[in-house]
Order: sequence, then structure tokens, then C-alpha cells
Amino acid sequence: MKIKEEMKGDVLVIAFSGKVIGGPELVEVKETFQRAVDQGCMKVLLDLGKVSWMDSSGLGVIVSGHTTLSRAGGALKILNATKKIQELFIITKLITIFETYTDEQEALDSFGA
Amino acid sequence: MSFPSDASVLEPVQQIIEAIGRSADVEEDELSSLSVAVVELVKNAMEHGNQNDPDKMVKVSFNIFPNRIRFMIDDEGTWEPEKALGFNPGEGDELLSTRGRGILIARNLAKWVEFGLTPEGRTRVTLIWPLT
Repeated sequence: MKIKEEMKGDVLVIAFSGKVIGGPELVEVKETFQRAVDQGCMKVLLDLGKVSWMDSSGLGVIVSGHTTLSRAGGALKILNATKKIQELFIITKLITIFETYTDEQEALDSFGA
Repeated sequence: MSFPSDASVLEPVQQIIEAIGRSADVEEDELSSLSVAVVELVKNAMEHGNQNDPDKMVKVSFNIFPNRIRFMIDDEGTWEPEKALGFNPGEGDELLSTRGRGILIARNLAKWVEFGLTPEGRTRVTLIWPLT
């Protein structure tokens, strides 16, 4: 799995690509969310469009990121969840927790000024 | 096939399960769902059956029948899914748990997931994947 970070306005866009499978690399993902909060970035958009495979471990770190940001007064939103990832969000009812978008500009605008 | 209880084997396991599915003519679009379901059960076997001890093995066996694939995942422990987890990750405050969704996902993606015991009394999970 690869992680790419990019600031777009005041929103940090984090893009995962490849396989999000259990293992030590997920610790790095958790640290990415915590680092965003530590740097005062409370608006994070997670782009999952290039994720080829993900299981419950991936969901776990996304929930962890949501909790980290929410507790700090921020928000984590989801962009481009694939059909398979969307299915996992529905099975686990996480679809009721996260705002999901398919259009990046719409997602960025949703954070407000 | 036997694998040590180490997260580093999960990606090879995922690839092997998809290769098995492909050889049984599982539709390409369904291969990742199949591998997610089996990998979730392998991870549970590693964690709950083997306490993530790399010296303990998880055995994955399979049979391809005309209308289904049967996977059996055996570990070296004796555990029950409800007791191992102790909560329902899909409900209420537990919705935001960072763990505990593996069996829920496997049971929803596969058509049949059943917990039982091997002849030696160890935990065995059987997963049935229908072939259309």
C-alpha cells in the first residue's frame, strides 16, 4: 500500500493505493491521521479510489482516523470508495458514520470555509 | 496449506485464495470478495486460535465441487466467535470500535460460514462459496 498526502486549500487529502491489508504498515496510517491533528489540520479527505483490495483492518484504521479527528473537533470524509469498499461500509454499518463522495470538488466544498 | 500466524503471510494468502477462485471459475468481480472473506477468517484463526504466535500454524484446505468451493480454516486453539469478541461491532457504541468486524464481513460476503471443531478438537471454520 502507498500513502500520498496533498493539501488542497485547508483540506488534507490522503490517498491510499494498492492493497490495504493487515500488518505493520497500518500503524503508519494511524500516525498519518494523528500527525494531521498535531499540525492543526482538522479537515481530512481520504481518497480510496486507487485501493485494489481492503479488509476489516483497513476499516479499523479509517475508524481510528475518524475518532482521532472527531475528538480534536475535525472531520474525516471519504472520497471515491470503490464498489467493493462501499459494500464493506454497508455490511459494517459504517456507511451511517461517514460522509462519502464521488466528486472531489464537492467533497472539498463540503468542509466549508 | 499451512501458514505461520504472522501478518506478513496475509498477502500471499490473499493471492492464493484468488488463484483458487479463478481456477474454479469464480467471476473476476467476485474474487476479491472471496479472498476478503477467507483472509478475515485466517486472521481470526491467527489471533483468537493461535494468539498471533508465529510458531503456531493456520491450516487452510479447500475442495472444489461442481457447484461450490469449500474452505476449511483450522487453528491450534479452541475458541468461539461470540466469546472471543465479546461485543457486536455493528451496533450502538461499538460501531466505532477499531476491530472486531472480520467475522461479520466474512458471514456477509460468503453464503455459509460455520464454526466447529477438527477431529482433534481444535477450532475449524468452514466457508462455502457457491459457484454459478
